[in-house]
Amino acid sequence: MSDLATALVFWPAVAIMLVTGVYVFRTASMARAGLLLLASLGIEGLVFLALASEFLGVLQLLMMSGEMVIMVFFMVMFMPDPGGLMGMDMTHDKRRSASLAVAVGIGLAVVAVLTDWPARVVGRDAPDVRAIGFEVMGRSMLTFLFAAMTILFAMVGGVLLAKHGGRFAQIGAAGKGEA
Amino acid sequence: MSDLTPFVVLAVALVGAGCAALLEQVVSGLRVSPQAVLTSVSRTLRQPLRAPQVRDGWLYHLAPGLLLVAAVAALAFVPWAPGFRGIDLSTGAIGFAAALAYVTPAVFMAGWGAGRALTVLGAFRWLALMLAYAMPLAMVITAVAAPAGSLRPSDIVEVQHAVPMALVQPLALALWVPAALAVCFLAPFDVAHCDEELGGGVFSEYRGLDAALVALARRVLLVAVSGMTVVLFFSGWHGPLLPAAVWMVAKTAAVAAGMLWMGGRVPRMEIDRALELAWKVANPLALVAIVWAGLVTLLFYR
Repeated sequence: MSDLATALVFWPAVAIMLVTGVYVFRTASMARAGLLLLASLGIEGLVFLALASEFLGVLQLLMMSGEMVIMVFFMVMFMPDPGGLMGMDMTHDKRRSASLAVAVGIGLAVVAVLTDWPARVVGRDAPDVRAIGFEVMGRSMLTFLFAAMTILFAMVGGVLLAKHGGRFAQIGAAGKGEA
Repeated sequence: MSDLTPFVVLAVALVGAGCAALLEQVVSGLRVSPQAVLTSVSRTLRQPLRAPQVRDGWLYHLAPGLLLVAAVAALAFVPWAPGFRGIDLSTGAIGFAAALAYVTPAVFMAGWGAGRALTVLGAFRWLALMLAYAMPLAMVITAVAAPAGSLRPSDIVEVQHAVPMALVQPLALALWVPAALAVCFLAPFDVAHCDEELGGGVFSEYRGLDAALVALARRVLLVAVSGMTVVLFFSGWHGPLLPAAVWMVAKTAAVAAGMLWMGGRVPRMEIDRALELAWKVANPLALVAIVWAGLVTLLFYR
Protein backbone atom coordinates (compact mmCIF):
# COMPACT_ATOMS: atom_id res chain seq x y z
CA MET A 1 0.00 0.00 0.00
CA SER A 2 1.13 3.54 -0.66
CA ASP A 3 1.91 5.89 2.22
CA LEU A 4 -1.29 7.83 1.58
CA ALA A 5 -3.46 4.69 1.60
CA THR A 6 -1.75 3.52 4.79
CA ALA A 7 -2.41 6.89 6.42
CA LEU A 8 -6.04 6.80 5.27
CA VAL A 9 -6.49 3.43 7.00
CA PHE A 10 -4.26 4.14 9.97
CA TRP A 11 -5.62 7.37 11.49
CA PRO A 12 -9.40 6.69 11.27
CA ALA A 13 -8.78 3.17 12.55
CA VAL A 14 -6.75 4.48 15.49
CA ALA A 15 -9.54 6.97 16.24
CA ILE A 16 -12.18 4.21 16.26
CA MET A 17 -9.88 2.08 18.44
CA LEU A 18 -9.57 4.85 21.03
CA VAL A 19 -13.29 5.72 21.03
CA THR A 20 -14.43 2.10 21.40
CA GLY A 21 -11.69 1.62 24.02
CA VAL A 22 -13.07 4.50 26.08
CA TYR A 23 -16.65 3.23 25.72
CA VAL A 24 -15.60 -0.15 27.14
CA PHE A 25 -15.48 1.60 30.51
CA ARG A 26 -18.51 3.82 29.98
CA THR A 27 -21.02 1.06 29.36
CA ALA A 28 -22.76 -0.79 32.17
CA SER A 29 -22.95 -4.25 30.62
CA MET A 30 -20.20 -6.85 30.42
CA ALA A 31 -21.60 -8.18 27.15
CA ARG A 32 -21.42 -4.71 25.60
CA ALA A 33 -17.98 -4.07 27.12
CA GLY A 34 -16.64 -7.32 25.68
CA LEU A 35 -17.93 -6.57 22.20
CA LEU A 36 -16.59 -2.99 22.32
CA LEU A 37 -13.20 -4.29 23.41
CA LEU A 38 -13.36 -6.78 20.53
CA ALA A 39 -14.08 -3.91 18.12
CA SER A 40 -11.13 -1.94 19.52
CA LEU A 41 -8.64 -4.81 19.43
CA GLY A 42 -9.92 -6.27 16.15
CA ILE A 43 -9.44 -2.92 14.43
CA GLU A 44 -5.94 -2.87 15.92
CA GLY A 45 -5.37 -6.10 13.96
CA LEU A 46 -6.51 -4.33 10.79
CA VAL A 47 -4.04 -1.52 11.60
CA PHE A 48 -1.23 -4.09 11.80
CA LEU A 49 -2.31 -5.41 8.38
CA ALA A 50 -2.34 -1.86 6.97
CA LEU A 51 1.22 -1.44 8.26
CA ALA A 52 2.17 -4.63 6.34
CA SER A 53 2.76 -6.55 9.58
CA GLU A 54 0.92 -9.61 8.29
CA PHE A 55 1.55 -12.18 10.95
CA LEU A 56 0.88 -9.83 13.88
CA GLY A 57 -2.29 -8.57 12.21
CA VAL A 58 -3.74 -11.97 11.42
CA LEU A 59 -2.81 -13.33 14.83
CA GLN A 60 -4.29 -10.29 16.58
CA LEU A 61 -7.56 -10.70 14.66
CA LEU A 62 -7.70 -14.43 15.43
CA MET A 63 -6.73 -14.32 19.10
CA MET A 64 -8.74 -11.25 20.08
CA SER A 65 -11.96 -12.67 18.68
CA GLY A 66 -11.50 -15.85 20.69
CA GLU A 67 -10.40 -14.08 23.86
CA MET A 68 -13.11 -11.43 23.86
CA VAL A 69 -15.76 -14.07 23.20
CA ILE A 70 -14.41 -16.03 26.18
CA MET A 71 -14.58 -12.84 28.23
CA VAL A 72 -18.21 -12.21 27.26
CA PHE A 73 -19.03 -15.85 28.00
CA PHE A 74 -17.48 -15.81 31.48
CA MET A 75 -18.57 -12.31 32.42
CA VAL A 76 -22.22 -12.92 31.59
CA MET A 77 -21.91 -16.06 33.70
CA PHE A 78 -20.41 -14.22 36.69
CA MET A 79 -22.08 -10.82 36.74
CA PRO A 80 -25.35 -10.29 38.58
CA ASP A 81 -26.43 -7.79 35.90
CA PRO A 82 -25.00 -8.93 32.52
CA GLY A 83 -27.56 -6.95 30.56
CA GLY A 84 -26.44 -3.71 32.18
CA LEU A 85 -29.97 -2.61 33.08
CA MET A 86 -29.06 -1.23 36.51
CA GLY A 87 -26.37 1.26 35.50
CA MET A 88 -23.35 -0.51 37.00
CA ASP A 89 -20.12 1.52 37.03
CA MET A 90 -17.25 -0.26 35.23
CA THR A 91 -14.46 1.68 36.97
CA HIS A 92 -13.05 1.12 40.42
CA ASP A 93 -10.60 3.09 42.57
CA LYS A 94 -10.87 5.86 39.99
CA ARG A 95 -8.14 8.33 40.88
CA ARG A 96 -5.34 5.82 41.43
CA SER A 97 -6.22 3.66 38.40
CA ALA A 98 -6.54 6.73 36.15
CA SER A 99 -3.17 8.17 37.24
CA LEU A 100 -1.50 4.76 36.85
CA ALA A 101 -2.98 4.37 33.37
CA VAL A 102 -1.85 7.84 32.28
CA ALA A 103 1.68 7.25 33.66
CA VAL A 104 2.01 3.87 31.87
CA GLY A 105 0.62 5.36 28.65
CA ILE A 106 3.10 8.26 28.71
CA GLY A 107 5.95 5.87 29.54
CA LEU A 108 5.13 3.59 26.59
CA ALA A 109 4.72 6.56 24.24
CA VAL A 110 8.13 7.94 25.31
CA VAL A 111 9.77 4.55 24.71
CA ALA A 112 8.08 4.28 21.29
CA VAL A 113 9.19 7.74 20.19
CA LEU A 114 12.70 7.81 21.68
CA THR A 115 13.81 4.29 20.71
CA ASP A 116 16.17 4.24 17.75
CA TRP A 117 14.21 1.72 15.66
CA PRO A 118 16.26 0.01 12.90
CA ALA A 119 15.12 1.08 9.44
CA ARG A 120 16.16 -2.06 7.53
CA VAL A 121 13.73 -4.65 6.26
CA VAL A 122 14.31 -8.09 7.77
CA GLY A 123 14.03 -10.95 5.31
CA ARG A 124 12.97 -14.53 5.83
CA ASP A 125 16.46 -15.91 6.52
CA ALA A 126 17.82 -12.98 8.51
CA PRO A 127 19.69 -13.83 11.75
CA ASP A 128 17.12 -11.71 13.65
CA VAL A 129 14.36 -14.20 12.89
CA ARG A 130 16.48 -17.04 14.22
CA ALA A 131 17.37 -15.02 17.31
CA ILE A 132 13.71 -14.25 18.05
CA GLY A 133 12.85 -17.93 17.62
CA PHE A 134 15.50 -19.00 20.11
CA GLU A 135 14.48 -16.26 22.54
CA VAL A 136 10.79 -17.24 22.44
CA MET A 137 11.34 -21.00 22.57
CA GLY A 138 14.29 -20.81 24.99
CA ARG A 139 14.84 -18.34 27.80
CA SER A 140 11.36 -16.76 27.64
CA MET A 141 9.52 -20.08 27.58
CA LEU A 142 9.40 -20.41 31.37
CA THR A 143 7.73 -16.98 31.65
CA PHE A 144 5.13 -17.88 29.04
CA LEU A 145 4.39 -21.23 30.66
CA PHE A 146 4.07 -19.61 34.08
CA ALA A 147 1.65 -16.99 32.72
CA ALA A 148 -0.34 -19.65 30.86
CA MET A 149 -0.70 -21.87 33.93
CA THR A 150 -1.72 -18.87 36.07
CA ILE A 151 -4.46 -17.95 33.61
CA LEU A 152 -5.62 -21.57 33.43
CA PHE A 153 -5.83 -21.83 37.24
CA ALA A 154 -7.71 -18.53 37.38
CA MET A 155 -10.22 -19.80 34.81
CA VAL A 156 -10.75 -23.12 36.56
CA GLY A 157 -11.08 -21.29 39.89
CA GLY A 158 -13.55 -18.87 38.36
CA VAL A 159 -15.72 -21.66 37.01
CA LEU A 160 -15.71 -23.38 40.42
CA LEU A 161 -16.81 -20.13 42.09
CA ALA A 162 -19.61 -19.64 39.55
CA LYS A 163 -20.99 -23.13 40.02
CA HIS A 164 -24.20 -23.77 41.87
CA GLY A 165 -23.28 -24.21 45.50
CA GLY A 166 -19.99 -22.39 44.94
CA ARG A 167 -19.44 -18.93 46.35
CA PHE A 168 -22.81 -18.41 47.98
CA ALA A 169 -23.43 -21.90 49.27
CA GLN A 170 -24.35 -22.35 52.89
CA ILE A 171 -21.87 -24.40 54.86
CA GLY A 172 -23.19 -27.91 55.22
CA ALA A 173 -25.45 -27.56 52.21
CA ALA A 174 -22.81 -28.71 49.76
CA GLY A 175 -24.14 -30.29 46.60
CA LYS A 176 -27.51 -28.66 46.92
CA GLY A 177 -28.73 -27.28 43.63
CA GLU A 178 -26.28 -29.34 41.64
CA ALA A 179 -27.60 -30.53 38.32
CA MET B 1 -3.71 -8.09 -6.94
CA SER B 2 -5.71 -5.67 -9.05
CA ASP B 3 -8.11 -2.96 -7.93
CA LEU B 4 -11.00 -5.13 -9.05
CA THR B 5 -10.17 -7.89 -6.54
CA PRO B 6 -12.86 -6.99 -3.94
CA PHE B 7 -15.56 -7.02 -6.63
CA VAL B 8 -14.33 -10.35 -8.00
CA VAL B 9 -14.47 -11.85 -4.51
CA LEU B 10 -18.00 -10.49 -4.02
CA ALA B 11 -19.03 -11.95 -7.40
CA VAL B 12 -17.53 -15.33 -6.46
CA ALA B 13 -19.42 -15.12 -3.14
CA LEU B 14 -22.77 -14.36 -4.82
CA VAL B 15 -22.39 -16.98 -7.56
CA GLY B 16 -21.07 -19.51 -5.04
CA ALA B 17 -23.98 -18.87 -2.67
CA GLY B 18 -26.45 -19.35 -5.54
CA CYS B 19 -24.80 -22.61 -6.52
CA ALA B 20 -24.82 -23.72 -2.87
CA ALA B 21 -28.57 -23.06 -2.73
CA LEU B 22 -29.08 -25.21 -5.86
CA LEU B 23 -26.82 -27.89 -4.35
CA GLU B 24 -29.06 -27.93 -1.27
CA GLN B 25 -32.02 -28.72 -3.54
CA VAL B 26 -30.08 -31.57 -5.19
CA VAL B 27 -28.97 -33.07 -1.88
CA SER B 28 -32.41 -32.88 -0.30
CA GLY B 29 -33.93 -34.61 -3.34
CA LEU B 30 -35.91 -31.64 -4.59
CA ARG B 31 -36.26 -30.67 -8.24
CA VAL B 32 -33.43 -28.25 -9.14
CA SER B 33 -35.06 -24.91 -9.79
CA PRO B 34 -33.30 -21.54 -9.71
CA GLN B 35 -36.81 -20.07 -9.85
CA ALA B 36 -37.60 -21.50 -6.40
CA VAL B 37 -34.43 -19.93 -4.95
CA LEU B 38 -35.27 -16.52 -6.41
CA THR B 39 -38.88 -16.75 -5.23
CA SER B 40 -37.80 -17.54 -1.70
CA VAL B 41 -35.26 -14.69 -1.73
CA SER B 42 -37.82 -12.15 -2.97
CA ARG B 43 -40.43 -13.42 -0.49
CA THR B 44 -37.92 -12.99 2.35
CA LEU B 45 -36.94 -9.52 1.18
CA ARG B 46 -40.58 -8.37 1.14
CA GLN B 47 -41.01 -9.14 4.85
CA PRO B 48 -40.92 -6.06 7.11
CA LEU B 49 -37.83 -5.77 9.32
CA ARG B 50 -38.14 -6.42 13.01
CA ALA B 51 -36.65 -4.17 15.67
CA PRO B 52 -36.34 -5.89 19.05
CA GLN B 53 -37.38 -3.57 21.86
CA VAL B 54 -34.46 -4.42 24.14
CA ARG B 55 -31.49 -2.40 25.39
CA ASP B 56 -28.96 -4.12 23.09
CA GLY B 57 -31.27 -4.26 20.08
CA TRP B 58 -28.68 -2.35 18.01
CA LEU B 59 -26.56 -5.51 17.91
CA TYR B 60 -29.42 -7.37 16.21
CA HIS B 61 -29.09 -5.46 12.90
CA LEU B 62 -25.28 -5.38 13.08
CA ALA B 63 -24.91 -9.16 13.36
CA PRO B 64 -25.99 -10.25 9.81
CA GLY B 65 -23.53 -7.73 8.32
CA LEU B 66 -20.64 -8.97 10.45
CA LEU B 67 -21.57 -12.58 9.62
CA LEU B 68 -21.46 -11.80 5.90
CA VAL B 69 -18.18 -9.86 6.18
CA ALA B 70 -16.59 -12.78 8.04
CA ALA B 71 -17.83 -15.28 5.43
CA VAL B 72 -16.68 -13.19 2.45
CA ALA B 73 -13.30 -12.50 4.11
CA ALA B 74 -12.85 -16.25 4.66
CA LEU B 75 -13.75 -16.88 1.02
CA ALA B 76 -11.16 -14.30 -0.10
CA PHE B 77 -8.35 -16.47 1.31
CA VAL B 78 -9.29 -19.50 -0.83
CA PRO B 79 -7.12 -19.83 -3.97
CA TRP B 80 -9.15 -21.09 -6.97
CA ALA B 81 -6.30 -21.42 -9.45
CA PRO B 82 -2.61 -20.43 -9.45
CA GLY B 83 -2.65 -16.68 -8.79
CA PHE B 84 -6.45 -16.39 -8.61
CA ARG B 85 -7.42 -15.52 -5.03
CA GLY B 86 -8.76 -12.48 -3.21
CA ILE B 87 -6.17 -11.98 -0.48
CA ASP B 88 -2.64 -13.33 -0.79
CA LEU B 89 -0.94 -13.36 2.60
CA SER B 90 2.05 -15.49 3.58
CA THR B 91 -0.11 -16.40 6.59
CA GLY B 92 -3.31 -16.96 4.57
CA ALA B 93 -4.28 -20.22 6.28
CA ILE B 94 -4.28 -18.47 9.68
CA GLY B 95 -6.03 -15.52 8.04
CA PHE B 96 -8.82 -17.89 7.00
CA ALA B 97 -9.18 -19.06 10.61
CA ALA B 98 -9.12 -15.41 11.76
CA ALA B 99 -11.97 -14.55 9.39
CA LEU B 100 -14.00 -17.55 10.60
CA ALA B 101 -13.35 -16.45 14.19
CA TYR B 102 -15.68 -13.47 13.60
CA VAL B 103 -18.64 -15.75 12.92
CA THR B 104 -18.77 -16.40 16.68
CA PRO B 105 -19.20 -12.78 17.88
CA ALA B 106 -21.69 -12.24 15.03
CA VAL B 107 -23.82 -15.17 16.18
CA PHE B 108 -23.57 -14.00 19.78
CA MET B 109 -24.68 -10.49 18.74
CA ALA B 110 -27.61 -11.97 16.80
CA GLY B 111 -28.87 -13.99 19.76
CA TRP B 112 -28.14 -11.45 22.47
CA GLY B 113 -29.47 -8.52 20.42
CA ALA B 114 -32.77 -10.26 19.71
CA GLY B 115 -33.24 -10.46 23.46
CA ARG B 116 -35.46 -13.55 23.58
CA ALA B 117 -34.79 -16.47 25.90
CA LEU B 118 -34.33 -19.00 23.09
CA THR B 119 -32.15 -16.72 20.95
CA VAL B 120 -29.85 -16.01 23.92
CA LEU B 121 -29.74 -19.72 24.74
CA GLY B 122 -28.81 -20.48 21.12
CA ALA B 123 -26.11 -17.80 21.21
CA PHE B 124 -24.54 -19.29 24.33
CA ARG B 125 -24.67 -22.79 22.88
CA TRP B 126 -22.83 -21.44 19.84
CA LEU B 127 -20.17 -19.71 22.00
CA ALA B 128 -19.52 -22.90 23.94
CA LEU B 129 -19.38 -25.00 20.76
CA MET B 130 -17.03 -22.66 18.92
CA LEU B 131 -14.70 -22.22 21.90
CA ALA B 132 -14.46 -26.00 22.06
CA TYR B 133 -13.81 -26.52 18.34
CA ALA B 134 -11.56 -23.49 17.74
CA MET B 135 -8.40 -25.20 18.98
CA PRO B 136 -8.78 -28.40 16.89
CA LEU B 137 -9.46 -26.19 13.85
CA ALA B 138 -6.37 -24.03 14.41
CA MET B 139 -4.13 -27.00 15.26
CA VAL B 140 -5.29 -28.92 12.18
CA ILE B 141 -4.43 -25.94 9.97
CA THR B 142 -0.97 -25.81 11.56
CA ALA B 143 -0.52 -29.57 11.08
CA VAL B 144 -1.51 -29.43 7.41
CA ALA B 145 0.75 -26.43 6.78
CA ALA B 146 3.80 -28.17 8.32
CA PRO B 147 4.80 -30.27 5.23
CA ALA B 148 4.55 -27.17 3.03
CA GLY B 149 6.70 -25.21 5.48
CA SER B 150 4.40 -22.28 4.73
CA LEU B 151 1.02 -20.94 5.81
CA ARG B 152 0.31 -19.58 2.31
CA PRO B 153 -2.66 -21.57 0.90
CA SER B 154 -1.14 -21.78 -2.60
CA ASP B 155 2.07 -23.27 -1.15
CA ILE B 156 -0.03 -25.83 0.74
CA VAL B 157 -1.68 -26.78 -2.58
CA GLU B 158 1.68 -27.04 -4.37
CA VAL B 159 3.15 -29.44 -1.80
CA GLN B 160 0.20 -31.82 -2.52
CA HIS B 161 0.86 -32.08 -6.27
CA ALA B 162 1.64 -35.81 -5.90
CA VAL B 163 -0.17 -36.96 -2.76
CA PRO B 164 -3.19 -35.16 -1.27
CA MET B 165 -2.88 -34.32 2.42
CA ALA B 166 -6.02 -36.37 3.18
CA LEU B 167 -3.92 -39.51 2.62
CA VAL B 168 -0.86 -38.23 4.50
CA GLN B 169 -2.75 -36.87 7.52
CA PRO B 170 -6.08 -38.72 7.78
CA LEU B 171 -6.35 -37.89 11.48
CA ALA B 172 -6.20 -34.17 10.72
CA LEU B 173 -8.99 -34.62 8.17
CA ALA B 174 -11.07 -36.57 10.69
CA LEU B 175 -10.71 -33.67 13.14
CA TRP B 176 -11.34 -31.03 10.47
CA VAL B 177 -14.66 -32.43 9.20
CA PRO B 178 -16.66 -32.08 12.47
CA ALA B 179 -15.25 -28.60 13.08
CA ALA B 180 -16.12 -27.63 9.49
CA LEU B 181 -19.67 -28.94 9.86
CA ALA B 182 -20.02 -27.02 13.12
CA VAL B 183 -18.85 -23.71 11.67
CA CYS B 184 -21.21 -24.14 8.67
CA PHE B 185 -24.24 -24.49 11.01
CA LEU B 186 -24.82 -28.07 9.82
CA ALA B 187 -25.99 -31.16 11.73
CA PRO B 188 -24.92 -32.88 13.95
CA PHE B 189 -23.80 -29.54 15.41
CA ASP B 190 -26.78 -27.32 14.54
CA VAL B 191 -27.46 -26.82 18.26
CA ALA B 192 -27.60 -23.01 18.11
CA HIS B 193 -30.40 -22.53 15.60
CA CYS B 194 -32.29 -25.82 15.44
CA ASP B 195 -36.03 -25.56 14.79
CA GLU B 196 -37.02 -28.56 16.86
CA GLU B 197 -35.37 -27.61 20.17
CA LEU B 198 -35.12 -23.83 20.08
CA GLY B 199 -37.68 -22.83 17.47
CA GLY B 200 -34.99 -21.42 15.20
CA GLY B 201 -32.67 -20.34 18.04
CA VAL B 202 -30.32 -17.43 17.35
CA PHE B 203 -31.79 -16.64 13.93
CA SER B 204 -35.46 -17.12 14.79
CA GLU B 205 -36.26 -13.40 15.06
CA TYR B 206 -34.78 -12.35 11.72
CA ARG B 207 -37.10 -11.16 8.95
CA GLY B 208 -36.66 -9.36 5.66
CA LEU B 209 -33.21 -8.11 4.65
CA ASP B 210 -31.67 -9.31 7.93
CA ALA B 211 -32.89 -12.86 7.29
CA ALA B 212 -31.72 -12.73 3.67
CA LEU B 213 -28.23 -11.60 4.74
CA VAL B 214 -28.02 -14.43 7.29
CA ALA B 215 -29.10 -16.96 4.64
CA LEU B 216 -26.56 -15.55 2.15
CA ALA B 217 -23.76 -15.55 4.74
CA ARG B 218 -24.43 -19.19 5.60
CA ARG B 219 -24.13 -20.23 1.92
CA VAL B 220 -20.95 -18.17 1.45
CA LEU B 221 -19.56 -19.79 4.60
CA LEU B 222 -20.29 -23.24 3.15
CA VAL B 223 -18.47 -22.37 -0.10
CA ALA B 224 -15.49 -20.87 1.77
CA VAL B 225 -15.11 -23.82 4.16
CA SER B 226 -15.54 -26.40 1.36
CA GLY B 227 -12.99 -24.53 -0.76
CA MET B 228 -10.47 -24.41 2.08
CA THR B 229 -11.08 -28.12 2.78
CA VAL B 230 -10.08 -28.85 -0.83
CA VAL B 231 -7.03 -26.59 -0.52
CA LEU B 232 -5.86 -28.15 2.74
CA PHE B 233 -6.65 -31.82 2.13
CA PHE B 234 -7.56 -32.63 -1.50
CA SER B 235 -4.63 -31.00 -3.37
CA GLY B 236 -6.57 -27.92 -4.46
CA TRP B 237 -6.52 -27.28 -8.20
CA HIS B 238 -4.27 -30.27 -9.07
CA GLY B 239 -5.81 -32.88 -11.35
CA PRO B 240 -5.26 -34.50 -14.75
CA LEU B 241 -6.40 -33.09 -18.13
CA LEU B 242 -8.92 -30.43 -17.05
CA PRO B 243 -7.84 -26.84 -16.28
CA ALA B 244 -6.90 -25.97 -12.69
CA ALA B 245 -9.95 -23.84 -11.87
CA VAL B 246 -12.35 -26.54 -13.14
CA TRP B 247 -10.80 -29.12 -10.82
CA MET B 248 -10.95 -26.71 -7.89
CA VAL B 249 -14.63 -25.86 -8.48
CA ALA B 250 -15.59 -29.51 -9.03
CA LYS B 251 -13.82 -30.65 -5.85
CA THR B 252 -15.33 -27.79 -3.85
CA ALA B 253 -18.81 -28.68 -5.09
CA ALA B 254 -18.20 -32.32 -4.17
CA VAL B 255 -17.07 -31.42 -0.63
CA ALA B 256 -19.99 -29.00 -0.17
CA ALA B 257 -22.42 -31.66 -1.38
CA GLY B 258 -20.86 -34.17 1.01
CA MET B 259 -21.20 -31.80 3.94
CA LEU B 260 -24.81 -30.94 3.06
CA TRP B 261 -25.60 -34.65 2.59
CA MET B 262 -24.15 -35.45 6.00
CA GLY B 263 -25.88 -32.43 7.55
CA GLY B 264 -29.21 -33.68 6.26
CA ARG B 265 -28.84 -37.24 7.54
CA VAL B 266 -26.96 -37.26 10.85
CA PRO B 267 -29.07 -36.76 13.97
CA ARG B 268 -28.34 -33.67 16.03
CA MET B 269 -25.85 -34.16 18.83
CA GLU B 270 -26.81 -33.01 22.30
CA ILE B 271 -24.80 -29.89 23.22
CA ASP B 272 -23.19 -31.57 26.26
CA ARG B 273 -22.08 -34.51 24.12
CA ALA B 274 -20.75 -32.21 21.40
CA LEU B 275 -18.70 -30.28 23.98
CA GLU B 276 -17.45 -33.47 25.61
CA LEU B 277 -16.39 -34.80 22.22
CA ALA B 278 -14.48 -31.59 21.53
CA TRP B 279 -12.70 -31.20 24.86
CA LYS B 280 -12.04 -34.84 25.71
CA VAL B 281 -11.46 -36.35 22.25
CA ALA B 282 -10.82 -33.77 19.53
CA ASN B 283 -8.44 -31.48 21.45
CA PRO B 284 -6.10 -34.27 22.65
CA LEU B 285 -6.19 -35.93 19.21
CA ALA B 286 -5.29 -32.58 17.62
CA LEU B 287 -2.04 -32.67 19.61
CA VAL B 288 -1.40 -36.18 18.25
CA ALA B 289 -2.08 -34.84 14.74
CA ILE B 290 0.55 -32.13 15.27
CA VAL B 291 3.15 -34.69 16.35
CA TRP B 292 2.25 -36.87 13.34
CA ALA B 293 2.58 -33.83 11.05
CA GLY B 294 6.03 -33.16 12.48
CA LEU B 295 7.15 -36.78 11.91
CA VAL B 296 5.81 -36.87 8.35
CA THR B 297 7.43 -33.53 7.56
CA LEU B 298 10.83 -34.60 8.87
CA LEU B 299 10.73 -37.99 7.13
CA PHE B 300 9.22 -37.21 3.71
CA TYR B 301 9.11 -33.47 3.04
CA ARG B 302 12.69 -32.43 3.77
